[in-house]
This record gives sequence, C-alpha cells and structure tokens, in this order.
Amino acid sequence: MIVLQEVVKVYANGTRALDGISLEIPERDFVFLVGPSGAGKTTLIRMLNRDESPTSGAVFVQNVDVTRLKPSELPSLRRRVGMIYQDYKLLPTLSVWENVAFVLKATGEFRPEARDRIASVLKLVGLGERHGHYPRQLSGGEQQRAAIARALVRDCPILIADEPTGNLDQETGWETIQLLVKINALGTTVLMATHNRELVDTMRRRVIAIDRGRVVRDEIEGSYVG
Amino acid sequence: MRSKAATLANLHTARYVITAAANALWRNRTMNVGAIITTAIMLITLAAFLAINDTLDQMVVGLGRKSNLIAYVRDEARPSAITELVRDLQRRPGVAEVRYVTKEEALAQFRSQFVEQADLLDLLQSNPLPPSVELRMNDPAALPALAGELRGRGDLFDDVVVPLDVVERLTSISNVSRAVGTAMVIALTGVTLFVIVNTIRIAVYARRQEIEIMKLVGATDWFVRGPFVLEGAAIGAIGALLAAITLVIIYAQAAPTVARIIAFLPISTDLEFVRYLAVFTVLVGLVVGALGSYFSVRRYLSV
Repeated sequence: MIVLQEVVKVYANGTRALDGISLEIPERDFVFLVGPSGAGKTTLIRMLNRDESPTSGAVFVQNVDVTRLKPSELPSLRRRVGMIYQDYKLLPTLSVWENVAFVLKATGEFRPEARDRIASVLKLVGLGERHGHYPRQLSGGEQQRAAIARALVRDCPILIADEPTGNLDQETGWETIQLLVKINALGTTVLMATHNRELVDTMRRRVIAIDRGRVVRDEIEGSYVG
Repeated sequence: MRSKAATLANLHTARYVITAAANALWRNRTMNVGAIITTAIMLITLAAFLAINDTLDQMVVGLGRKSNLIAYVRDEARPSAITELVRDLQRRPGVAEVRYVTKEEALAQFRSQFVEQADLLDLLQSNPLPPSVELRMNDPAALPALAGELRGRGDLFDDVVVPLDVVERLTSISNVSRAVGTAMVIALTGVTLFVIVNTIRIAVYARRQEIEIMKLVGATDWFVRGPFVLEGAAIGAIGALLAAITLVIIYAQAAPTVARIIAFLPISTDLEFVRYLAVFTVLVGLVVGALGSYFSVRRYLSV
C-alpha cells in the first residue's frame, strides 16, 4: 500500500514540483502515472524510496511514513521498493548475471541458493541465455529487462518504473509492459510513470494523471488523455 | 536461524569489502603507489622530527643529571642553617639528590680524582677545601632559578658553580624544536590527510555510479564506505610502514656515528624509542588513511 497525503515539494530554486498531492495505491495494483514533462512524475516517484524528501506532507509505503525515516533506516525501505529507470542504471563493468547478483551482495543477501533465484529471474525476463553478456553487448530492451530482473531478484513487494519504455522502440516497449503485467500478476504492486500513450490506452489500467504538481485525474480503467 | 543468517550476511559483506578494497588498490595502482610514496615521505619527516625532539630531550635530561650544582659553604655558615637548607632543597621539584660534602670528604674526593697531585696537599698545614652542597637534577630547567636563589644566600655560600650555559642552550633548543616539531606534526599530518583524501576522492568519483546504484538498491552505508575506508587505511599503513622501516634503518646506522662524533653529549643509541616511534607512525598512517577515506566518501552517501 502506498499513500501520499498533501505532499508538497518546493526545490531550492523555488520550483514547486508537487503541490499538495494525495493518493492511495492498494497492494497488487497496477498504476500508470502520466502527465507532461515537468509535471512532477519523477519527483513523486523519488519520494517513494526517499531519493527525495517532501517539503511538507507524508508519504507512507507499507504503513511506514518514509519522510520520518532516519538515514540508517533507508536501506530497509529501498530493499522493499524495486526501482527501474529509463537509463537502466546497470553497471557497465559487470555482466547481466553480476548486475543482478550485485543487488543481493549489496544488501548482504547473497547466498549459494541465490544462484537459482537469479537464474529463474533472468529466465522470467527472457535473459536466461544472455546472463554472461555485458550491458554494452545488449540492446536497449534487453538492458531494460536486465534492470527489471535486478529489481525483481529481491522479491520487492513494490516495483516502481520511471519511464521504462522511454528509450525503447514500440515493440520492445510493449514486451517490457507485458513483463511488468506478468510481475504484477504474481502479486507485486507496480507504479509506472510513462509518456507512452498507446501502451496506456491499450492496457486500460488505473491511470493517475498529474500536471503542475497536482493530481488532475484518477481513473480505474483510464486512458492517456481523459 | 535469524542470527545465523545475519552472521552469514556479515561474513559476505566483510568478504565483499576486503575483495573490493584489494581490487581497487590494484586497479588504481599507479595513483595509489604515488599516494603511498608521498605518505611515506611525509611520515618519515614527521617521525624524524619526533626522533630529533626525543634525542634533544634525552640530551637535556642527561646533561641535567650530570650537572651537579656545587655551592661552596662559607666557613662561618651555621651548620644548622645548612642542614635546614639541604632538607628544603631535597623537597624542591626537579631536584633528584642533595648531598652535603664535608671538608674531609672533599679532600678524599680530590685525592681520588687527582692522584698525581695528591702530594701537593701534604705541603699544606690544613685542609683548604671548603665543605659544599652538591645538587643533582631531574629537571635541568629548574637549575638556573635554583642557582640564582643559592647565590642570593651570601650568608651561607661563597660561590655557586653550575654549567648553566650548555643546559640553558640545550633547553632552549629543545623548546624551539618541540614547538617547530608540533607545528610540523600538525602540518605533515594535514598534508598526509590531504594526499589520501584526494586519492580516495578520485577513486570515489570514478565509482560514483556504482555508489549511487548501491544506495538506491538499499546497500548500507558501511557496505558502500567499507572498501574505500579499507583502501585508504591500506595506503596510509603501507606508506607508514615504509617510513617506519626507513626510520629504524637510518637511526640504527646514524645514531652510533653521531654519538661517536659528539662524544661529550649523551646521545642515546637505544633503538627502543625508535621502535615505539615506528609503531606510532604506522598507527598514524592507518588512522589518517581510514579517516581521510571515511570523509572522502561521505558526500556521495547522501543519495
């Protein structure tokens, strides 16, 4: 469950990125976050793993007010919220397998049995055969799938994707969405910020539209434009 | 079960930290070797200053111990006043020993020191040597004031003899050297810290993407910081070890030679202090390296 209550974010230069946003996303939901560039989508997403702190308001992730977490408590939050970025954020010096394993090592959860878990996650995203390749040897879609595998390997109950199809062609973008739908069906809450009108309109999932830092539309089976 | 898992996780983290630090040391070897050499040079200079200070201190103390202040007692001085003064002097800070030497003891001492001239005394009808009060000092710095005070007691003493010049000069050299040494210790520690901080900062900058990802996936601060702190500590410790080895070799070679050349000064050739200094130098290198790295990586942890 994700809850935002009257969240305001004003940057030091005076930009009001979020202007009193309130919303609720229940567990296992699949939500598209849409809006024009600069609407505040990325700022909102970054609030959820405390990559950003709000100027005022409260952000609850699984009943924990993340705005009140101490720095030492952030790793625990970030281990529950898987993040997927438009630029993938893969380490270029590590292979696909190593990139996925790196998350487990960084969180102290790498065990011998984790190898099976990594193999099954890579198979799920369709990279079972390419686990030894480096990011530069992969297409954009494959890199995004590797990033999704990295987010999945820890069994995070929440998966947040910031423009995951932004750098992908239509077909690959569609494959990525299908993958996220599959993951959602397995019980993971998915929140995805996107500009991809066609995907949103085809999926007919819940759509939260924001503009100038405010929620302007929230529809159960929404479309890109209301 | 939970604690076993936690122990396993800690072991994995420790293994990762050590492996990552070793990899980084090797990967950035050119830069690290530069930092190690610079650190070694800084710490050799620092340790040399400490060694010189210690030698000067030992010389001052050694000379002070030898510097028997001798106050020659007037014939008409009251014995009770002398006894009282001797008791008073024994309680003074910096005074190691006070001895009243009678006329007879002075004569015996003269005979034993100047065996060949002993016959001269036989020519005299009576013992010409005056009784005296002799002082041996713990702290030679207290000697000038004490000498002045005894000279002021003209009712008791004819003359007060003390090798003040050498002691005073050595004491002032030692004080200047200590002040310069302290400033050098601060400055050189600062420079060492600066070199290590910058070396690690470059390493941190090169790996900033990795750090950002680690933080975003929920790595603890120590998982991120550990390899850098270990790398910095290793640079500091290796540099310091080189400095310590060089220092011990130089001191072992040079001290006996210097002691032979300046035979009249009590220069210590004891290696024990230098061994302590070597251990201290290594600890300084280790701590400065670790602290420098700790602060270098801190700003990148606020993701």
